[in-house]
This record gives sequence, structure tokens and C-alpha cells, in this order.
Amino acid sequence: MIVGMEGFAALGQGLGLRPPFYEAAATGEASFAAVADVDWWEVISENFMGEGGNPRRVLRAARAHRPIVLHGVSMPLGSTDPLDARYLDRLAALAAEIEPAWISDHLCWSSLGGHRAHDLWPLPFTEEALAHVAGRVARVQERLGRRILVENVSSYLTYRHSTMSEPQFLTALAERADCGLLLDVNNVFVSAHNHGFDAVAFLDAIPRERVGQFHLAGHETLPTHLRDTHDHPVCDGVWELYRHAVARFGDVATLLERDEHIPPLDELCAELRHAGEIARASRGGAER
Amino acid sequence: MRLADVEARFYELVTARDSVAATVAAAGPELRRAVEQMVAGDARLPAIARLEIYADMYFARIRDVLADEYAKTASALGGAAFHALVVDYLDACRPDHPSMREVGARLPTFLATHPTGARRPWLAELARLERARLEMIDSADAGTLTFEALRTLPPERFATLNLRLVPSHALLETQFDVVPLWRSEDPGTTVPAPSPTALVVWRRDLEVLHRAVDGEEADWLRRLESGDLMFASLCDGLARGRTDEAAAARAFELVGRWASDGLLRADD
Repeated sequence: MIVGMEGFAALGQGLGLRPPFYEAAATGEASFAAVADVDWWEVISENFMGEGGNPRRVLRAARAHRPIVLHGVSMPLGSTDPLDARYLDRLAALAAEIEPAWISDHLCWSSLGGHRAHDLWPLPFTEEALAHVAGRVARVQERLGRRILVENVSSYLTYRHSTMSEPQFLTALAERADCGLLLDVNNVFVSAHNHGFDAVAFLDAIPRERVGQFHLAGHETLPTHLRDTHDHPVCDGVWELYRHAVARFGDVATLLERDEHIPPLDELCAELRHAGEIARASRGGAER
Repeated sequence: MRLADVEARFYELVTARDSVAATVAAAGPELRRAVEQMVAGDARLPAIARLEIYADMYFARIRDVLADEYAKTASALGGAAFHALVVDYLDACRPDHPSMREVGARLPTFLATHPTGARRPWLAELARLERARLEMIDSADAGTLTFEALRTLPPERFATLNLRLVPSHALLETQFDVVPLWRSEDPGTTVPAPSPTALVVWRRDLEVLHRAVDGEEADWLRRLESGDLMFASLCDGLARGRTDEAAAARAFELVGRWASDGLLRADD
């Protein structure tokens, strides 16, 4: 039996909370029957750091109905800039109020000299980068008073001087910083295509006990590469890889991301149900 | 290669004003060699093309967010001019805040000094209005003094009624009346006449609103913004050039309107 990582419950199938779903999340099944298929919500932390107004109202109301996970995009764990103490304070304050199931961010860098790129840029997989990121993850966890999940990003380039593979880097990072991993199955699929590696072998190289959450999403197919856009349904290849991920890592909380061309909630819930069927099938049909 | 050096080179190329290919071509073969030594490329996607993907995404994401936040200004400028403005803006005002929403915070000021803004100075003021409205969305909440609460207030309480504005408000002064421009379906073809205007922007519950105010109301809103104001002081101030009765009537009119708007903060 595969045991989930301590502190990261098998929450079921969740959805990224975006403005079209604010009222559904805030009011729950009483107003939106489709919400019954959403076991939990993941929110972009930075979008809810304002002092008041609708975002905070929605988040408080949604929290009354479902578990919430805070997923950040602006904690540049790999940047050589100093960690942003003010940002961490605001994140800690938000977490204190919302009591999220957990907090996550990305294995990337995105700022230089105080300038922010608002993107998820790839790191070289070197011992220097590993020591740098592991130290920062440890400091973040100390500040937040909890273990975080670190997500693999989609990438379009690799560095010649990398001395380890991405799974080796993630594994070493999780061990050194004692953090969990958020395995984005779509990102593995996209990066595997863009760099020509074996996506299944990538998953097989990740330690089972460190994975606390999956991400599923769609991407765009371009002539030269795949682009991680979160604007399409999950494709067959990603579902196939997800089947393998569930078989390897067990019934890990799964989150569907959709950021562009957002369809009606019913349509996304059909994808959530499909993810749930795959998870149940991996348990031999047994219910949680 | 040190991590700091990798990040510096990547940042320089991906956020450059020109494409990565143009930047590398302009710099000469040494930079090309350095890039190819840093980034692995192949026949399908050479190293520079891989960096170009990041450069395109960096710019497109920010441009799209700004086009959404400044929808009226972008519409007035048209796609190509707005694109060019964002190129210049990102060159001059690099994003420095963890929230994507703050990327455009300096755009109205920048537009005012930009050749585009110099030719059509009302556009920077339209952008200021759009920015003020955006900032109201998640500004601090506060209980409001409702018109009903004001109406039922015992008369003897009015003199000591302490007036305070809700935190989710902004006062703007413009040289053009940008309200019709903001309302216009086609702001690109609207040329407003110079007309100094004062505006108040605020959030009532979840709704962001704005309206033009006359000079006297603007003066009193500024007084309110700089600190609390007793109703009696408002009446005294309005009495200059008016009878006491007319001043009281005007005070009730202003306070009633502010309460109806949701601009006044309730006592804690």
C-alpha cells in the first residue's frame, strides 16, 4: 500500500479557483449543483493578498465549503535575489486566516535585481543551484511553519552545464529541504516532448513518499514544441501519464488547472470525474 | 557557470527590448557563442529559439494583462500603438512587485510623459481612472454609514457626527472630462475638450463606481480624505456666502449623497 506524504491528505479532485467560479465556490452546492464534483479548490496566493473586496470575501466563503490550497507563482525559490520577506509575511498572514490544507510554489526563478518576470524560468540542475534552492525552501518552511510542496515547471530549454536530471534534482531537493513535491503531470509531458526524455521514466525516478499533489492541465501543440498554456482540455497523452502517476504514487490529491478559454463549470467537472475514475480504478474500484 | 551568471544572462536576453535573435546579432559572435555554450539547442529548436520562447511569453503575458486592466486606454490607442507603448513601458518601468496586478501601476504616469500621451493627453487621464478603479477591487473593507442610518439619526447627534471616508476610495483631478471617454464604445475617436474635472472613485460593497464632482464637493472630499470632519464644521464651512439655512441644506445634500453612495465609513 502506498501511503501519502504526511501532512498532504488525499483530498480528491480539485479545481483551480478562477473568477468565473467565484460565486459557485462561495455559495457551494446550494446554488451550483456542479460544485459537488469539486472536492477542493486551489487558489493563486497572490490574487488573494489584497486587503478586502470580492477576492477575500470569496476565499473566506469558499473555505467554509471546501479545503483550500494556496498555490504561489511569485516566490522565486531559485532566484539569486534575496527572499522577499514582505511577500512571505503576507503569505503567512493569508495562511493564518484561511488555514489552507497546504502551500505550494514552483521550482524556478523569476526575478533579478528586484525585477520580477512573472514567469516560471528554468534552473540549471547543478549542485550549486540545488544547495541554493534547498536553503531557500528550508527558510520558507521555517517562516511559514509548515512543509511546502515544490512543483516541477514546464520548460523549453535546458542548460549544458547541468550535472543531474530534473528528477534527480527534485529528489535531492525534497530530501535536503524536507519538502514535498507537487508533480505536474502536464508539465512532465510538455518538458518530455520539448527535451526528448521519457516521461514515464521521469515519474519512476521520483520518490513515492515525497509526492503530495498532482496537477493536470492542457497545453498547446506548436510545430516546434509544446507550450504549457492551461487553455485546452487535458489530452489523451497526459491522461495516460496520469494513469501511470496514480499507479505509482497512489491516490494523491489532484488539481485541474484552467486559466484561459475557461469553459462552463460542468465541462471541467467532467474532467474532474474522469480523474476520479482513474484514481478509483487504481484502487481496484474501492471508495475512500 | 555560476547560477548568478546564468540568471543575469538569461534575464538580459529574455527581457531585452528587441528579440533574442536581434539582441544576439547586434552584440556579435561572442554573445552567440556564450548563449550556445549555456543553452542546449538542437535542429528543431536552436538555443536562441528556445530563449525566444521565454522572451515572447514574458512580453505577451504582461501586454495581455495590461490590455485587460487598461481596456479603455488600449482600445483608444489601438492594438499596434498599445503594443508599442508596452514595449517602451517595460523598458522604462521593470516590474518589481510580486503581484502581477502591480505591473501596470506606473503606466498612467508613464503614458503622460510618453510621446503618445503628449499627443493625446486625455489618454493618460483615462488610464488614471482605469487604474483607480482597478485598485478599488480588493482595497480594504469597511462598514458604511448608510443613508437609512443617517435618516434615523436623532437631530441632536448631527452636530457631533464624525464624517470619515471609507478606505476604498480615490480622488482624481483631470484636465479633461474623461467620464464620457470611459463610457464611450469607441474611445479612440472621441476627443474631449479641455475641462478640469474632479472625480471620486470608490467601491460600494463589491461594485466599483466613479462620478464627477463639482469644485465645492471636491474641496470637501479632499478635507475628508485628510482627516475626520465634524458635520458642524462642514456646515460652518459651507456658510461662507450662504445663509445658515442654505448652508445646512447644502450640508445635508452632500452628506446624504455620500451616504447613499457608500462613501462614508460607519463608526467602529
